[in-house]
Amino acid sequence: MGLLTNKSALLAGALALSAAANAAEWQLALDLRAVSSDGRESFLDDGQGKLRYDADHEGIQLGRLRAALDQPLGEVFSAHVEASMWDLDDKNPIDLTEAYLEYRPYPRAGLRTRVRLGAFYPPLSLENRARGWETPYTITPSAISSWIGEEIRTIGIEGQVEWLGTRTGHDFDLQLTAALFGWNDPAGTMLSAHGFAFHDRQTTLFGRVGAPQSDPALAKKELFHEIDHRPGYYVGAQARYLDRAVLEVLHYDNRGDPRVAAPAIRDFAWDTVFDAAALRIETANEWTVLLQALDGRTVIVPFTWLTWEYESQSALLARRFGAHLVAARYDRFAVEFNGDPHAAGSEDGHAWSLAYSYEPDDHWRFALEWLRVRSEVPARAEWLGEAALAVESKLELSARYAFGGRF
Amino acid sequence: MLRRDGSICARRAVVLAALVACAPAFAAPLSVTVFKRDGTPLPGAVVSAEAESPSLPPAAPVHGVMDQVDLTFVPDVLVIPVHSTVQFPNSDPISHQVYSFSSARSFQLPLYRGKPYPPVSFDQPGIVTLGCNIHDNMLSYIIVTAAPFFGRTDKNGEWIAADLPNGRYRLRIWHPLLNEPQDLERVIEAGAARTPIQFRLAKGLKAAPLKGRPHSWDY
Repeated sequence: MGLLTNKSALLAGALALSAAANAAEWQLALDLRAVSSDGRESFLDDGQGKLRYDADHEGIQLGRLRAALDQPLGEVFSAHVEASMWDLDDKNPIDLTEAYLEYRPYPRAGLRTRVRLGAFYPPLSLENRARGWETPYTITPSAISSWIGEEIRTIGIEGQVEWLGTRTGHDFDLQLTAALFGWNDPAGTMLSAHGFAFHDRQTTLFGRVGAPQSDPALAKKELFHEIDHRPGYYVGAQARYLDRAVLEVLHYDNRGDPRVAAPAIRDFAWDTVFDAAALRIETANEWTVLLQALDGRTVIVPFTWLTWEYESQSALLARRFGAHLVAARYDRFAVEFNGDPHAAGSEDGHAWSLAYSYEPDDHWRFALEWLRVRSEVPARAEWLGEAALAVESKLELSARYAFGGRF
Repeated sequence: MLRRDGSICARRAVVLAALVACAPAFAAPLSVTVFKRDGTPLPGAVVSAEAESPSLPPAAPVHGVMDQVDLTFVPDVLVIPVHSTVQFPNSDPISHQVYSFSSARSFQLPLYRGKPYPPVSFDQPGIVTLGCNIHDNMLSYIIVTAAPFFGRTDKNGEWIAADLPNGRYRLRIWHPLLNEPQDLERVIEAGAARTPIQFRLAKGLKAAPLKGRPHSWDY
């Protein structure tokens, strides 16, 4: 596909019009953490630990420094840029997580179309519904959202058609989404290397995951690359009942050609396919129930066919008391390598989270979270000489201050 | 006093002529109360009384205001006589993009803050559903009516037409949370004796929109 030549050129093209007139709205947010953790060496340091902050990263930590810009371009176009700093040691201390141009015309006869061009998240965000693709319920998102933030990004074009039933006297809104994208061929690399993890660190568009290491199979990875020059696609649907319930389904296929290698980044075009579904119900007395499920597989063929099947489910229950929110979540996750549960690359586990957050105004959010992950990972024993079974827990306090304006 | 006079008038109304005799000079309050299906009062319901006989012109046009405060349209429902105008100021620090594609009046106000646009005129009776193209949770209604008398029910579910002249009226009830279709129209004769009118919904209400969630959500 000729289009799939240069990720930067696509992003630059999508944002080139931002010089136009209307006032831009910007936002800055600093999120600092105080962490107490007994986690194994983190997957971010190429360990097999499930947490962002392991036992060597306790104390005061940078959660996220985030800068966002929304620039209207005339009546129906706008540009959106999200840049973040997650760790001073990252390859690019500040880098983009999303950057796209949006076309959002006025609805006609109850129908609205929407087109996004650039880099953004697929519609898998019933949990990560807050600014900067964050979850408002906890500090650490579910295993599913953690993985999406780590490995999945749409770099391409997405179209949506929405039937606004609630604007025409009905109880439902319906939305269909389809996208064509490139630069997501490495998706699956991290899942096969360390399985699911629990973290709010979103991989940046030009950044990496993991630390340098002697073993190239485990070395840090750049995740947004075009390797096989075959575009991927996803199709999805969303149904809303008033503003109370949302059901979302998505089928994702990066159409990777698993036989194509990219020696320059020591990676392959992973053929990654998954189905995801989520249901969120909110009640008048401020309860929220959020169910998520994801089921898929990824394949590479370095010499023989290697397949990883993965799945995860999560259930969250939250109750809001004005500016206070209490949430509990259960996650289950499993990866199975070539059907042999004992082979390295497989895993099985579950996690519990409890969180309290207080968002008194538009500027401050304080959150306290306890997270405990129990996982059985044979690779710990085979590669690292650790026990395969690990129970990791952390207590994390987050203080976030956000402010914004326009120019 | 009015009630006693009305009773005297009614007693005399053995012949049809009595009604005609009373009509021109007589204007009295009429109470309309709306109850939910469970029998509790329904506040905020729109009640309109269209004059069928004798016919009366719509109420005089007004200049209404539909504000945007805290990512919410204020008020949630605005009832205006036909040929009225409405200003749509945006009191939020962020931009909104107001639209309606309703057949009674479709319009759009490109992304704005403050009060940059002239008022919008509403020349056709009907229900105009308002939305913001940026914030899908924002929803409000403008009810454009040709009725000479209209209003919204108070916390007791009651609306009182203070000076309703004698005649035949078509009463209509509407509420943003109504489950339609429902027969909420009634033709009444407002004569000398004015018994309070009561409506009771046949169906339950839709779930009311959720409120008070932090602004950082649903970005």
